[in-house]
Amino acid sequence: MKKMLLTGVLLALSSAGAVKVGALLPLSGAGSVSGQAARNGYLLALEEINKAGGVLGRPLELEFADDGSSPAKAVPEFVKMVTVEKVDFMVGGVSSATSIAISGPAKQYNTFMAWIGAAAVPVEDAFADHKYFFHYHPWSYYNFEAILDYFKHLRVTKKARNIAIAYEDGPFGSAGINDTVAAFKKAGFNVVMTEKFKTGSGNFGPIVSKAKAAKPDIFYWVGYDTDALPLATEIKQQNLNVGLIYGTPPSWPVGFEKNRLADNVAGLSLWLPTSPNSQSRAFVNAYRKKFGNVTEEYFAPLAYVNLKTLAAAINKAGSTDKDKVAAELAKTNTQTPFGPLTFSRSNKTRYQGFKAGSWLSFQYLADDRVPVYPLKSAKKTTVWGR
Amino acid sequence: MELFLQTLLNGLLQSGIYALVASGLALAVGVVGIVNFAHGEFLMIGAFLAWALSAYLGVDPLISLPFAALAVFGVGALTYRVSIRHVLLAPELNQMLLTFGLGILLQNLALIWLGGNTRTVTTPYQGSSLSIGELSVGGPKAIAFGLAVLILGALYGVLYRTTLGRQMRAVAQNRRGSQLIGIDVERVYLIAFGVSCGLAAIAGVLVAVLLFASPTVGLVFALKAFAIIVMAGLGNLTGVLWASVVLGVSEALVQTYVPGGGGWSDAVFFLLIFATLVFRSFRGAR
Repeated sequence: MKKMLLTGVLLALSSAGAVKVGALLPLSGAGSVSGQAARNGYLLALEEINKAGGVLGRPLELEFADDGSSPAKAVPEFVKMVTVEKVDFMVGGVSSATSIAISGPAKQYNTFMAWIGAAAVPVEDAFADHKYFFHYHPWSYYNFEAILDYFKHLRVTKKARNIAIAYEDGPFGSAGINDTVAAFKKAGFNVVMTEKFKTGSGNFGPIVSKAKAAKPDIFYWVGYDTDALPLATEIKQQNLNVGLIYGTPPSWPVGFEKNRLADNVAGLSLWLPTSPNSQSRAFVNAYRKKFGNVTEEYFAPLAYVNLKTLAAAINKAGSTDKDKVAAELAKTNTQTPFGPLTFSRSNKTRYQGFKAGSWLSFQYLADDRVPVYPLKSAKKTTVWGR
Repeated sequence: MELFLQTLLNGLLQSGIYALVASGLALAVGVVGIVNFAHGEFLMIGAFLAWALSAYLGVDPLISLPFAALAVFGVGALTYRVSIRHVLLAPELNQMLLTFGLGILLQNLALIWLGGNTRTVTTPYQGSSLSIGELSVGGPKAIAFGLAVLILGALYGVLYRTTLGRQMRAVAQNRRGSQLIGIDVERVYLIAFGVSCGLAAIAGVLVAVLLFASPTVGLVFALKAFAIIVMAGLGNLTGVLWASVVLGVSEALVQTYVPGGGGWSDAVFFLLIFATLVFRSFRGAR
């Protein structure tokens, strides 16, 4: 009885004054694959941080909240984290739509946010004047820079000229679509189709029919993992003769690589587990040890880096004072599975982490994601569908 | 011309899956007299069953189809016994709130037990198609359309050619009168509601092949099924197929020919509900 009482008192004492971090993630809904991957990344980082002595001498506490990939659910979950759970810092944030939705409460409560996702430019606009907003993920214009570079390479090597674009009609797909089209045209491509779709609807028949009539060399789509298989199915069923199908969902469906319809489909990723970088290898080994498998979703290492760097900044600051932590986090200069991480200004926000140089393009080949561009990290050359 | 014909074909094929979902809902509304807002969640159970049988036992979804239908028939019958029957004589608002709550419960149970990830099923015929000149007919969607026609034909046959069907129609027309002439109304309701859920499961299996299985996959299809049964006339089974074709083809035409139509396609069913209701009230007023 005495032992139990003592344990209880010790536990209560150990958690008193502990630094509390809230993680808002899409654990369900359209962005759930990214959200679940990020959750695992956070859990791994949490374990390592607490094994190494925690934060400010106490075990770090991490609370998860599911935003359901929906702005309507994200706002109350965010407010609950900040006002009821009274977290000191917020991390997470995969979807652009949910991030825009919480920008109001974030500014109202002056919340410290170390954000891993939300690449759309309207998110950058929404947080431009928020002094505690650290954005790890490259903004969409950085993503596009990497894609354009790859397509220019395909223009030279495969004579690719015509691009058909299909994009989801939420902020993730729609924001900056006019700039995308303009940039493709400026780079000498013909944009032969620009069509929007509802993510998750699975109804791609008419879009693929239109693309078939437009005869593109590259079919470029911007959507979520839920759209990948229905789109690939429809393209196959309608025999769309295209050189490359290129998608930029934040994550891909579980088991997609095993489906024959995924063969030669290309995409964009910040990271692949095959990366030769020593930090990446260490992450893969630690992840395998904890979860018994290897993830291909870059949101897992991104979340891992996010929490580790935040914890390091709090320790360096020696307190949870937001200004002091922001000053320390801004000084971050560390090696990560994606390469070096530092923070510098983006077009509108003060603290931007990774930029265009971090991206790589891959293709699904023989049940695996194989890097095909940039050439310095390519394992194979692009398989062209014609 | 080729694009126009392919668009019509796309719409027609899409309408098959809509008709499958709507036929079950029409049965629940027509016979049991309950608007089942949880219909999409029974579809979701069917989709997950197809995925689980395929992923863990290697069973092809088309083979698992009758098992999924039977299993979800059981879930539906149980749901009826435990909850639906208690509100059949209650005000309609109570019935709607109950089925709405059931839907949320089933969706969240799926989230807790299976997580929010999208699960896909792999079959050798997933990308199969039949080419007619320059036109392509997708295999799984053609199967869905064929199944919808078959099932609606079979339902029609059961309703008009069998004793159970006559009992169902009698109960739908007058519950008390049916009781007075010795029909076991409770049994008829239980079977009708179970079959309605079983039909949702069949649609769910095909949705798993065509799209994916996830806790929220049923919502989009349930909304469209509501539009279809409103167009067909609440409870009118025979109108379900043509109403599905109208919805499927309208969506395809909007997607193909309206600039930015992909974003408008989900507004089509709202527009059709609106147009149907206005037309009916206008005709009624005359």
